[in-house]
Amino acid sequence: MGISDMVIAVAILAAASYLLYISLWKKKGNCCGYGCSGGGCGKK
Amino acid sequence: MTAEALRKENIPAAEARVPQRGELRPVEKRTITVAVAGNPNAGKSTLINAIAGSRLHVGNWPGVTVEKKEASFEYAGARIRLIDLPGTYSLSPYTQEEIIARDYLVNERPDLIINVVDATNLERNLYLTVQLMDLGIPMVMALNIFDEAQAKGYRIDVGGIEKMLGIAVIPTSATKKSGLDELLKSAIATAKDPQGHLPQQLNYGEDIEMAADFIAGELIAGHPALIERYPRRWLLLKLMEGDGHVQKVTGFGGNLLEEALRHLKRAHGEDIEAVMAEARYALATGLTREVLQKPELPKTELTEKIDRVVLHRVFGIPIFLAAMWIMFKLTFDLSKPFADWIGAMISGPFKRLAEALLGAIHAPAWTVSLATDGVIAGTGNVLVFVPMIFAMMFFITFLEGSGYMARAAFVMDRAMHSIGLHGKSFIPMLLGVGCNVPAIYATRTLENPRDKALTALLVPLMSCGARLPVYVVFIGAFFPKHGGSVLWSLYMMGILLAIGMGFVFKKTLFKGEAPMFIMELPPYRMPSLRSLLIHTWEKGKHFLIKAGTYILAVSIMVWFLLNLPWGVEHKKDSYLGQVGAIVAPALKPLGFGTWEASSSLIAGLVAKEIVVGTMGEIYLKKEAANEAAKPSLGEELKEVGSSFLKAAGESAANITSTFGITSISAEEDAAKAAERSPLRAELKNQFTPLAAYAFITFVLLYMPCVVAAVAMVQEFGTWKWYGIAFGYQMFLAWGVACLVFQGGKLIGLGG
Repeated sequence: MGISDMVIAVAILAAASYLLYISLWKKKGNCCGYGCSGGGCGKK
Repeated sequence: MTAEALRKENIPAAEARVPQRGELRPVEKRTITVAVAGNPNAGKSTLINAIAGSRLHVGNWPGVTVEKKEASFEYAGARIRLIDLPGTYSLSPYTQEEIIARDYLVNERPDLIINVVDATNLERNLYLTVQLMDLGIPMVMALNIFDEAQAKGYRIDVGGIEKMLGIAVIPTSATKKSGLDELLKSAIATAKDPQGHLPQQLNYGEDIEMAADFIAGELIAGHPALIERYPRRWLLLKLMEGDGHVQKVTGFGGNLLEEALRHLKRAHGEDIEAVMAEARYALATGLTREVLQKPELPKTELTEKIDRVVLHRVFGIPIFLAAMWIMFKLTFDLSKPFADWIGAMISGPFKRLAEALLGAIHAPAWTVSLATDGVIAGTGNVLVFVPMIFAMMFFITFLEGSGYMARAAFVMDRAMHSIGLHGKSFIPMLLGVGCNVPAIYATRTLENPRDKALTALLVPLMSCGARLPVYVVFIGAFFPKHGGSVLWSLYMMGILLAIGMGFVFKKTLFKGEAPMFIMELPPYRMPSLRSLLIHTWEKGKHFLIKAGTYILAVSIMVWFLLNLPWGVEHKKDSYLGQVGAIVAPALKPLGFGTWEASSSLIAGLVAKEIVVGTMGEIYLKKEAANEAAKPSLGEELKEVGSSFLKAAGESAANITSTFGITSISAEEDAAKAAERSPLRAELKNQFTPLAAYAFITFVLLYMPCVVAAVAMVQEFGTWKWYGIAFGYQMFLAWGVACLVFQGGKLIGLGG
């Protein structure tokens, strides 16, 4: 695995981690539709 | 700014005049704040949407996660700010919604209230009206769903209501957008002359009024600041009711209050809150009798006729179970051909297209593997189940919209009481069938913290949509002939175990009786196709968002974990494989003690759909490159179109032949399915049917996903309940899956 491969791999993993962080933790997941009018889903 | 200062700045007197206390600026020069209040199901949201449309801004009430809708707009030269209060049946401080609505009205004092009243359910809605009138805020009543009331033959004396309550009453139909202009005009007229539109003070009866007068005298003499600060009538009645919150903030109570209530208690009993509620109901009933004439019905209404059957003491629960079975059967039959089609497209044309694109840009070979064996095998195998999710959401929406779901909660009321809850707790649990996360948030509608915590602990046992892909891939592989029944058995297992665990919790963590609750049963309605489609989309779209966000992210991570350390020969030696191998022995008694199964279950801790995605990444072998066999783009597109039409035909045939998935030749179908869905074919080599059922049972029951964990922590402000849920569910999942596998082996169902 060359340097360029490592850079690409780290970039992809960083992007995936960021995506996981914002979608899972920061946005508290995704509401599945039910009860949203009742205020669920962790909207801020 | 003082008058002297104004003179110095040479500001014209007319413009510079500072409004005196109690005097409002003309409506043309200020924003009219309108609070929209009403019962749940009175059409409040529809009314606000119809008035505000795209101007509606959705946020949250401060400090809580209850949704707050707000809209500002100009109408007839006036600037109006609409605030949507949570739907409540009363202003008693028991639920979060009631507290929010009450606090807003008492502390923020909007210019007026639009009180949305369901004309088809006048008496019950007037209970809240009576409480709103106590606040002394100018009010306009939107007599909503008026068209439906008329269609039912109800004759409502609108003028009579206006006269008796002293407020403007406007018949509206939010769904047909009728009466909305009149409502807004009336709101502006009320805001222009608030003193002329104050609601009448309703008489609660001699004894209550006498006590109220006594307290009023004491307050005026000893606590004038309180009278200034709070709506007087409301304050008096709340003090009499013994409202803990009001007594605490006012510091009024003790002997003076006892003296005021002495006669009232002697005449009506100790529970003054109940006396007041009775008085309000009496007012609502009396008013309804005066203004509403219902037609004499020669025969029972349709709703009552249906209810006699579906709410039957004996047949109610079997009917509910049958309705659920039909729903799952239809879901499976309708969507399976489309799921197969998407599976075939993803593993065929899309995979080849991704390979071709990455080859064209000379991407490193491992990125091609990441795209095809990671992203496409992972996310793609989850996307296959989009048709199932949407089909199920469609049927659930139909049952909700038709009014049956409320009946389901009603028939389950007795079973719920056996576990120390009431039927109202079954509603969040039913919502959990769609997704556990909003179901956990929905527990906030329950009054007492004990019910909330117990319901939230049981909600994850309800089989959510995220688990559906796992079931379906295993059902497709092992039980294609009995898809609907196996699916139904899993959902029922979740409900029965929830009842069982509820019983255990009642005896241990949550001792005590369930409070009584009156459940509302809306009339049966045929939901419109438009509303069905909108709500289905609202519920299902989040599955697509999940697929594009954290399922995609986890698929990428799983690929790396399956390919690290770099250059690893066998997936078993990868990081994920090594962790899976450590966990595998614990799963051996359950029939699936392989590193592949345990690795998939570990990845599924994030979200349960990921179990399937990870299996796709682990089990699917890399296909040998065969350039010669690759079809051209034109052939690929032709295949996409023709196979879609074939899937649509199969789906229609399944539905029209009643429950006809079995009408397809099972052998032929299995062979084709293996070709179309390589994951299913591979699973058949890895699991026995009994082990497969034990595996899906484990997936149904093992720990709530990370998002559900976040929801529980957010809702209860502690990790305690999630910790308990995690612990008991892991134990339960292991125990039940073990029972299924070992019990099945014992009775000769294979191994």
